[in-house]
Amino acid sequence: MTQQNECQPINLAREEGISAHFGQNIGKKVLILTEAFPFMFIGEIISVVDDFAEMKVQTTSIPALEGKTWFVHIDTIEVFYIETENGVPIPELKE
Amino acid sequence: MKRRYHVVAIPIRIVLNTFGDHNPNGMMYVLKENEEKVKRLVKKNPFMPVDLVQPLFIRANEGDTVEILFENKLPFHAGMHFQEAEYDVCQSDGANVGFNKDTTIAPCEKILYKLHLLKEGNYFFSDLGNVSSDQNGSNSNGLVGGLCVQSRFSWWTDPETGKPINSGQYADVHHPLLPSFREYVWMFTDEMEVNDLTGNRPINHFSNQEEESFHGANYRYEPENRREQLVAEGVVCPNCEGEEVHHDSWVFGDPSTPILRGYVGDPAKIRLFHGGVKGTHVFHYHVNQWFSDPNDLASEILDAQAISPQSHYTIQPLYGLGSLQGSFGDAVIHCHLYPHFVAGMWGMNRVFNTLQDGSQCYPNGVPIKSLKPLPDRPAPPKPTKMKPGFPNFIPGKVGMKAPRPPMGIVGGRGLTELERNAAIANPRPGAVFTDPCPEGAPVKEFNISLIEIPLMYNREGWHDPTGRIYVLDEDLEDICLGKKAPEPLVIHTSSHTRYEINFTNRLPHILDGDAFQLVTRTYEAGMHIHFVKFDVLVNDGANVGWNYDSSVLSGETIQYSYYADTELKAWFFHDHLFPGSHQQHGVFGTGVVHPRFSKYLDSSTGVEVDQGTEITCVNPLTPDYRDFVIFAQDFTHLFNKDGKPLAPPPFPGSPDDPGLFGVNYKNEPLQFRLGKDCDPAYSFSSYVKGDPNTPIFKAYEGDSIRIRLLQGAQEESHSFNVHGLRWLSERGDLNSRLENQQHIGISESFTMEMNVPRAGDYLWTFETEEDLWNGLWGLIRAFDEKVPELIKLPDRLEPRERSKPVPQCTGNKPPSAADPTVEIVEGPLRKYDVVAFQTSIQYNSFGDHDPDAIIFALREDMEAIRDGKKEPVPLILRGNMGNTIDVTLTSYLKPELFPFKDGIYPYPIVKEQAFYPPSLRISLHAQLLDYDVKTSAGETVGFNGDQTVGPGESRTYRWYVDSAVGVCGMWDMADIRNHRSQGAFGAFIAEPRGTEYLDPYTLEPVTTGANVILRNPYLPDTREFVIVMHDGVRLLDKNNQVIFDPVDGVLLAPPEIDEDLLDTYDQGSRGFNYRSERLINRYRQHEKIHDVFSSDVFGDPSTPVFESYVGDPVTIRLVTPAERRRAHTFHLHGHRWRFGSENIHSRTESYVGFNVAGAKRNLQLLGGAGAYSGFSGDFMYRSGNIRWDIEQGMWGIMRVFEELKKHLPKLDN
Repeated sequence: MTQQNECQPINLAREEGISAHFGQNIGKKVLILTEAFPFMFIGEIISVVDDFAEMKVQTTSIPALEGKTWFVHIDTIEVFYIETENGVPIPELKE
Repeated sequence: MKRRYHVVAIPIRIVLNTFGDHNPNGMMYVLKENEEKVKRLVKKNPFMPVDLVQPLFIRANEGDTVEILFENKLPFHAGMHFQEAEYDVCQSDGANVGFNKDTTIAPCEKILYKLHLLKEGNYFFSDLGNVSSDQNGSNSNGLVGGLCVQSRFSWWTDPETGKPINSGQYADVHHPLLPSFREYVWMFTDEMEVNDLTGNRPINHFSNQEEESFHGANYRYEPENRREQLVAEGVVCPNCEGEEVHHDSWVFGDPSTPILRGYVGDPAKIRLFHGGVKGTHVFHYHVNQWFSDPNDLASEILDAQAISPQSHYTIQPLYGLGSLQGSFGDAVIHCHLYPHFVAGMWGMNRVFNTLQDGSQCYPNGVPIKSLKPLPDRPAPPKPTKMKPGFPNFIPGKVGMKAPRPPMGIVGGRGLTELERNAAIANPRPGAVFTDPCPEGAPVKEFNISLIEIPLMYNREGWHDPTGRIYVLDEDLEDICLGKKAPEPLVIHTSSHTRYEINFTNRLPHILDGDAFQLVTRTYEAGMHIHFVKFDVLVNDGANVGWNYDSSVLSGETIQYSYYADTELKAWFFHDHLFPGSHQQHGVFGTGVVHPRFSKYLDSSTGVEVDQGTEITCVNPLTPDYRDFVIFAQDFTHLFNKDGKPLAPPPFPGSPDDPGLFGVNYKNEPLQFRLGKDCDPAYSFSSYVKGDPNTPIFKAYEGDSIRIRLLQGAQEESHSFNVHGLRWLSERGDLNSRLENQQHIGISESFTMEMNVPRAGDYLWTFETEEDLWNGLWGLIRAFDEKVPELIKLPDRLEPRERSKPVPQCTGNKPPSAADPTVEIVEGPLRKYDVVAFQTSIQYNSFGDHDPDAIIFALREDMEAIRDGKKEPVPLILRGNMGNTIDVTLTSYLKPELFPFKDGIYPYPIVKEQAFYPPSLRISLHAQLLDYDVKTSAGETVGFNGDQTVGPGESRTYRWYVDSAVGVCGMWDMADIRNHRSQGAFGAFIAEPRGTEYLDPYTLEPVTTGANVILRNPYLPDTREFVIVMHDGVRLLDKNNQVIFDPVDGVLLAPPEIDEDLLDTYDQGSRGFNYRSERLINRYRQHEKIHDVFSSDVFGDPSTPVFESYVGDPVTIRLVTPAERRRAHTFHLHGHRWRFGSENIHSRTESYVGFNVAGAKRNLQLLGGAGAYSGFSGDFMYRSGNIRWDIEQGMWGIMRVFEELKKHLPKLDN
C-alpha cells in the first residue's frame, strides 16, 4: 500500500490521481455523473488541462448541449467510468 | 424599513361582471386614500365593475416592519389577521383568541397592527371578527386581501403609467440587482352572495334553475351562463352552442376577470391566494410551467396547482411569459374544476409581441391600454400596418367564433398575408407563429381519435352509455368490436421528442340527454395539452381570447405539434371545447415522457409498444421500471344494469355533485364485496370475491415502479394512498420527505417512484370514505416467483421458477396471515398492547358527544377509560429509528353496542348507501413504516392472509422503524363505514434514534400521549404536539339529538339554509383529537361573534391547549386519518415552518393545505414557540376553511408563556 505523503492533503492526492488517470486515457470514451446540471456526460476524453478534463460530449441529458467540447472540472465528478478493452462497453444511446 | 398603510374596512356593492351580477352586501379592505374615490365610483356605476373594487393588495419588502392603521367602518367587530408575519399576538393578531387582548375592533374604531416581515412571499390577510360561513359572514363577502413581500430593496410601479403605486393587483417590481418582473395577484374567491340586475339570484338560462354559486377571482367572474345567454338570444354567434365559445373574445370581447398582460419573455410572478371559504381549487395556467417551490430548483415542475382555502403559492413561469418557445397570444388561467370554470372562475395571461403604447385597439375597437416594457428588457417592436402584432393579424370577425388556425386542419386553409408576416420562417401545421421543436428532434407520430362508446365500469353492470374516449386509430376497430378493453389513452415517448398528432373528431354532434344532463350539441372537439411546449395561437386545442379556435368539427382531422424538452411527468390531455359537458364521460388521456433512450415493452409479452396504462420501461443507463397510470374520476354518469341512474343530480344539467366515481373507467364498490358471511372485514380480500375489476398492477419482488397519478374528471379532491409502499414527495430531491399519500385535483399529475420491497398484495386507494365505498381501490401485486403474464425487468435477475400455484378465489374467509413475530429481531424491540373497544366520547363541555365511538387504547388505560376516570383520546404510539415495533391488537367490540345493526349507517351518508353491516373484526393499519404486507399491513387485502381480529382475538403486527419519518396515520381497515369516523384511528410517531418521551408536566417517561417532551442526547429538548384532524363524526347533543353538521353549526344562519350547497362529504361534525369546540354552542351563550374564541368569556376550548415557553423548540405532528373528501387547510397563527422539514432551501409558510384522509406533516416551528421574535400569548391553530370548519369546531390554542409557571416545568436546554 502506498504511503500517503504527509505534506499532501488527501483531496489534492485524489485530484492528482484522477487527473493522471484521465490523462492516461485520452482518446477513450468516458461516462461521467456530476451532482450539478446537466448531471451526465458521455463522450471522448480529448485532453487534461490541470484539473479540467476536456471532452467531446456525444450525449448528455439535454440534447442542446451535445456535440460540443466541454471542460469538466475534476472536483465536480461524482462518478466516472472509462471504457477500456477490459470492461463492459458504455451503451450506445439511440433515439 | 418601516412602512405604513391606513386600511379601512367598508361595506361596498361589488359588481362582478359587465352583465350587472353583483353582491349588494360586499365588504372590502381599501386604502384610506382610495376610500372616497371608490365609494363615489361605485355610486356612479351601480351595474358596472369598478377597477378599484378589488381585494386589497399591498406590497412591502423582506425585513420591513409594516404598520397597519386599521379603521373599521363595518357594522360589526372586524380585524385583519395576517398569515406568515411575525407579530405580538396580544396587539396585532386581528382576532380575540384565548386570554389575549381583543385585537378586533368595534365599528368606527381604529387599531394599529405592527407586522414583521421576515421572508419574501405571499402574506394572506382576512377578517376573524365575523367567521360566520353564511352570507352574513365577512370573508365570503370579500373581506380578504394580500400583502406581497418582495426581495429587500425592491420598488414597484404601475405597468400602464410607470409611476409608483401603493396598491393594486398588477405591478412591475424592480430591484437594483435582480431582473424586473411583472407581478400579478390572483385571488380565488368563492361562495359570495350574487344577485342579478333584478336583485334576484341569477337563473341558468339553459336549465331554468338557480345558477351555480359564485366562483371567481379578484371579485370578478365571467359565467358561461351569461355569455351563452347572448348566443341563445341571437345577439352574437348565431350557430354556436355556448361552452365552446365561453372564453372567446371574438364573440364577446374580453371578460371582466383579470387579464394579466406582458410581453414575450417577461419575467413574471403570479401571487396566487385562495381567499375563498370552502372548496379546494386547481389553478391551471396554459402554456407555462413552474417550480412548486421557486426557491428550490430540485422541486417538482407543475402546470396545475391545487389550492385549499387560505393558502397561497407563488407561480413563477419558467423562461418568462410564453415559456421556452416564446409563444405569444392568450393563455387562459382557470380553476380546472369544470363546474367552477363554467361558473366563471377564469381569466387570461395576454402576451403581446408588439409594443402597446395606448394607440392600438383590439379587433372590436376597444383600446389596448398602454403597457410599459420592463426597463431592463428590450422593448418589443412597434406595430406596423403589415405587422400589426397580436391579435390584429388574425382574420377573425367580431361577434363570430374565432377563426380556425391556418395550415392545421387537413384540407384547410393556408396563411393570409398578415398571418404570413407574423409567422416564423418555415411554418408548418401546429407550429405557425412559434416553433417549439428544435431542429433534429426525433419525430413521433400518433393518430388519435375521439369516439363515443358505452363503458362498463364493473361486473354488476354499472355503465356509462355515452362514454367518450380517446383512442389510437389503429385500435379503433378492436375497441369498437369489443376485442380490446377501453382504457384511458396513455402514449409513451422519451424526452427530446417532437410529437406530430393527427387528431380526428369522431364524436356524434349531439351528446344525448338523460337524468344527468340535457341534450347538448358538442359539435367540435380538440386535444388540449399540458406540460409540453407548443404554439398557443394555433395548437392549444382550445378557443381562448383572441387566439384561433384550434379544434375541429366532427369528421375533421387537425394536426398538432408539440415538443417534450425534458423528462416530464405524465402530461394531461383533454378536450377544451366542451369539457364541462363531456369530460366526465372519459374525455382524457396522458402522454408519459420517459428518460431519453428508453424503450417500452408490453409487460406480459415483451413486445415493444407505445401506449398502455401498464407497461415496462427499459433504459440503458437508469434502472428499468414498471410504469403504471392511474386516473381518478368523479361526476361519473353511471346507470345500473336496469338502467337506473346512480346518484343523479336534482335536475338534469345541475352541477350539484352528480354521479359516482371511477378509476381508469372502472370501479369496485364495497357494497358488492360482501361474502357469504357479510363481513366487511374481507371487502378487499380476493379469496372471498376474487380480484377487483379495477387495475391490478403487476411487478416482481424488488422491481422499481413508477406510478403516474392523474385526475381526469371533474370537480372534487381525492386522496391517493398506497399501503405498504412510499416514495420521495419531490422525486428529484433526496432531501424531500417520504410519502405514501397524495392529494389530487383534476388535471394535476404526479409521478411516484419506488421499489416494491417484498412480494405480496399492496392496496392502493382513494382513501376518503365515499371514494373507497364506491370502488376507488385496487392492488399492486408483487410476485415472488415467475408468472407467465409478466416479463422480468431486463436489468434484474430471473425470478425463481414457480414452486407453488398462485392463490385462487375460494369464496371463503381468507386464511389467517402468518405470525411475523417468529422472525428473530435484530436491534431494540418495543412492544405495545393495544385494545379496541366501544365507548362514549365527550367532544366538548356543551354536551356534544359520540355515544357509539370505537377507539384504540393501550390495555393499561382501558379500564380507566371505560370507568370514565380517563378521557378517551386518539392512541398515539411512538418508536425510534432502528426499533422493531410489535403491536398486539385485541378486539373487545360487542355487537350490541353498534348503533345500526341493520347494516345501513344513516349519517353521515355516502352516495349509493347500501347494506354493509358493522364488522365485529378490527385491524390497525399504519402508514410509512416498513413491514411485510402479508403479515403486518393491518388489513386483509388481495391474496394476503387475514390480519383482522374478531372479539376476544389478538394478533401481533410487526413494524420496523427504518427512518425517522415523524407522524404516520394509523387506522382500522376492517370496516370503513362503521369504525373509522367513529374514532378507530390514531397515530404512530417515528422519532430519531435514542429519543425518550416525557410527560411535559411531570417529566416522567410516558408511552403515549399527544403532548410530550422529546429528549435526545444529540438534539435539544423539544415539545411535540400531535394534532389529529378529523371529520365525518356523528355527534349527538346534550339532549341526545343527532347534530346535523355543518348546518346545525352555522353562525348567523338564515331560517332556511340552501341545502344544495351541501355535498354528501360535507356531512358530519369535525375537530381535533376527539374534541370539537363548536362555535354555535358558545354563541348561544354569548351572542357576540367576535368573542367566540375568547377564553376570558368562555374558558379554554375543549380542543387541546398546548403549552410552552417562549423559544421552546416545538414540533407539531399533524395527521388526518379520517375521513371525508373535503380538504381542510391547517393554519397556526404567528408561526412558520419549512414546507420540507429536512430541506433548508424550502419555502417557509404558516399553513398546510390538503388535509384529507391519509395526509400528515411534521411542522418544526421556526424560532420555536413564539417564533423568532419571541412573542408570548395564545396562538390559534385552526382550519383555514371559513365555511363549515372553524364554526364547526376545528380550532384550538397553542399557549406560549413568557414567565415560568408552576405547573409546567421548563425545558432543560
